[in-house]
Amino acid sequence: MLKKDLISRSPLRQMGYEHDDIIPEGGFGAVLARAGVGKTALLVQFALNTMLRGKRVLHVSLQDPVQKVDVWYRELFHHLAVQYQVGQIRTLWEEILPLRFIMTFKVEGFSVPRLRERLNDLTEQGIFRPEAIIMDGLICDDGAEPVLREMKAMVEELGLRAWFTVHVHRQVKADEDGVPKPLLPADELFDVALLLVTEGNEMHIRDLKSSQIPSPRPVLILDPATMLIKESAAVAS
Amino acid sequence: MKRDLAKVRNIGISAHIDSGKTTLTERILYYTKRIHAIHEVKGKDGVGATMDSMELEKERGITIASAATYCEWNGHEVNIIDTPGHVDFTIEVERSLRVLDGAVLVLCSVGGVQSQSITVDQQMKRYHVPCIAFINKCDRSGANPVRVIEQLRSKLGHNAVALQMPIGLESDFQGVVDLIEMRAVYFEGAHGEELRYGEIPAALSGEAQRLREEMIDQASMYSDELTEAILEDREITPALVLAALRRGTLKRKLTPVVMGSAYKNKGVQKLLDAVTSLLPCPADVENTALNLDENEAPVILKSAPDEPVVALAFKLEDGPYGQLTYIRVYQGTIARGTTIVNVRSGKKIKVGRLARMHADQMEDIEVIPAGYIGALFGVECASGDTFVSPGLNLAMTSMYVPAPVISLAIVPKDNKAQINMSKALSRFTKEDPTFKCHVDEETNETIIAGMGELHLEVYVERMRREYGAEVSTGNPRVAYRETITRRADFNYIHKKQTGGAGQYGRIAGYIEPTAEGDFIFENKITGGAIPTQYIPACEKGFRQSLEKGPKLEFPITGIKVVINDGAYHAVDSSDMAFQAAARGAFRDAYLRARPVVHEPIMKVVVEAPTEFQGPVMGLLNQRRGMIVGAQDEGAMCIVEAQVPLAEMFGFSTVLRSATQGKAQFTMEFSLYRQVPAAIAEKIAEEIAARKKHAA
Repeated sequence: MLKKDLISRSPLRQMGYEHDDIIPEGGFGAVLARAGVGKTALLVQFALNTMLRGKRVLHVSLQDPVQKVDVWYRELFHHLAVQYQVGQIRTLWEEILPLRFIMTFKVEGFSVPRLRERLNDLTEQGIFRPEAIIMDGLICDDGAEPVLREMKAMVEELGLRAWFTVHVHRQVKADEDGVPKPLLPADELFDVALLLVTEGNEMHIRDLKSSQIPSPRPVLILDPATMLIKESAAVAS
Repeated sequence: MKRDLAKVRNIGISAHIDSGKTTLTERILYYTKRIHAIHEVKGKDGVGATMDSMELEKERGITIASAATYCEWNGHEVNIIDTPGHVDFTIEVERSLRVLDGAVLVLCSVGGVQSQSITVDQQMKRYHVPCIAFINKCDRSGANPVRVIEQLRSKLGHNAVALQMPIGLESDFQGVVDLIEMRAVYFEGAHGEELRYGEIPAALSGEAQRLREEMIDQASMYSDELTEAILEDREITPALVLAALRRGTLKRKLTPVVMGSAYKNKGVQKLLDAVTSLLPCPADVENTALNLDENEAPVILKSAPDEPVVALAFKLEDGPYGQLTYIRVYQGTIARGTTIVNVRSGKKIKVGRLARMHADQMEDIEVIPAGYIGALFGVECASGDTFVSPGLNLAMTSMYVPAPVISLAIVPKDNKAQINMSKALSRFTKEDPTFKCHVDEETNETIIAGMGELHLEVYVERMRREYGAEVSTGNPRVAYRETITRRADFNYIHKKQTGGAGQYGRIAGYIEPTAEGDFIFENKITGGAIPTQYIPACEKGFRQSLEKGPKLEFPITGIKVVINDGAYHAVDSSDMAFQAAARGAFRDAYLRARPVVHEPIMKVVVEAPTEFQGPVMGLLNQRRGMIVGAQDEGAMCIVEAQVPLAEMFGFSTVLRSATQGKAQFTMEFSLYRQVPAAIAEKIAEEIAARKKHAA
């Protein structure tokens, strides 16, 4: 299987979206779930897909060190490549690796101006100019609204697409529509919100916001062993 | 020599550069009365720490060779291996870990878990070495043991459990609270040798109680007895807690943390208590050897003194009495006068003098039983050799030895230097498997190769100091490799029929890239187009071609050769003819198979104050580095990158000047990657110029 086939297996396309970039330039997307369900895994898959399409991704983690984030990428890329029997795994990996930059901050040390400063270090010296940004571990509670607004301003100015992980504290029912509470303070900033829920031994992905997907919406299942989206998606009513 | 195996501890002290390992070892030797005065590492008093026995180490304030030494504490015999902290010498660290049963991971309370600690930790994991952590330098400004414990958990994934908490920090550091005994410990006297116990200061008692509960909670996971005691509200004795903690530690499920300041003579005795009560004895560790008679099937060794001998030579040193071989006996007993066999060479050796070492002093002993570390005199062997009783054919697990990535031409100044240089090189190559040397056939230069610039520099320096061999060095050269990127067919006739016996051979087939090995040869000839007796000659011919690529004369790797047709002549074909045909066929096909050059890429980790993050990334970027990520640690940041080795020469000087000397970096080999076309051209030009110069 070739690289373009791998791109066409994009997690977003499997979810029924027509394009890989479901959020516009300057837009926000969120993946919501309880702890340990697979938010990071899903976002890393989005990032890998973006990299495979030749676009640069900045991965900002507020919880894991660089090496651990790197392991996420390696493992998921390896699983993907094995699942779809892509040849020349190493060459392809080497090809996309320069399109990723990992930045980690301590939760207490993170601020948007600081991120901006770091980003300027990179862009001014021509080291790295991201097109998408993955924000992993930002606490999206009631107090997060100012941070999110600052982020929005930055993302819009730089023409980036930003994905966030949002930790859901309470059990959210799988069929409950609407955005769970933790995201509410800055709800209008988000273009897309995907909810991961566990049902029995499976993990389902529900789209909470987008009107792009025709009804009935497909329910996608994450394989808990590899954290990859399973090929056979059931269709919910 | 004591014979109670349960009271033996073979431990290593591993850590990042400048975490204070050597100072700590020095203090341990002082408190265990092996030495009677304390010297500082940097040698201000002109004596230097006892463990840094090599002159050079004293001068540079770093530890190069892991000197083995022993001491006694609370009736236990503790063998200590002081290990080097620089990545360039990791083979030393790995070798030490192989023979150790437990380790002390020294961490700086200011720097915390640094890049080298991560490497050392990975090595410990590979050899399943249980460890305890010692947070050193609690007296330094910026000391924060709580943060270090947190880093142990988050960066290394250890289940770190504090057994102590500090009383005061930085310049106010007075002592520690022992959470097991629940009392304060102060270290008094000129050199902290007198322990004074007292009540826990009132301000700390709440926190101490909380930490004790946390510790007991963690420990109870490994002891039913302790759990019962908690549930039944019985008294929790220190012995009960220690037994549970020990069980967790031996399984590597738990890392006990103690703290202090070796330099200020605080906390070292409590660390020794922890070593003796929490780290394993040789009998607690399962060691395996490979049975060479049964296709290297693993055999579990019995740590009993009356079994046949199995021992590993883990370090060689050249002393005034000849070669000194450090060994660890895993099974049986080596005694004076017994006969043992070197498995690699098959040579029988009669054991002469035995000793145990204390840095560069020694003590003669009669026997080295299973579980002990000692030294043999006058035994010819290489490090990593296994010694066994006659009749056994076991080898200790072969250690992973990485291939060298950098080489350097050395030229002796005069005849005397030439002789001494040969002696030195023969010794160094035996001592260190990552250090290689050979003579370049074309330039006649002696080439030394190793794992990094500093690695080679130290050996050149040692040649000068220890052997009096003055040598001048050339520019370091990177170990490039060639490989092909696509399939190419060949059909080559080697024919020489002018005068004398003729030569004839035709070989057809193809070459293609492979990721499965350096060289794969496949014979798909049917119908006897090339008679079977000539096939090995064909393979040999191809193999010869790999040594020097036709493109830039670098070794070729990752290639598969398939032969599927050919022709021979009843009279004129010979092994020679087919070897020549194979070489010709290879030359012919190789250039059509789009050959490329690969270069070693190093993983470079730079730690610098945050304000220098931009300049550091710029420096790495200028060196064709690919920055993997940047980690913001508050005041400090860590930038991780993959940089070609060829671009890293002199990096330390540039980094120092760009960061006012506040940054440090470590570097280790990561992978081989294709060289960009423009750089490949430059390399070709350099090689052409060098050839011209040699001619």
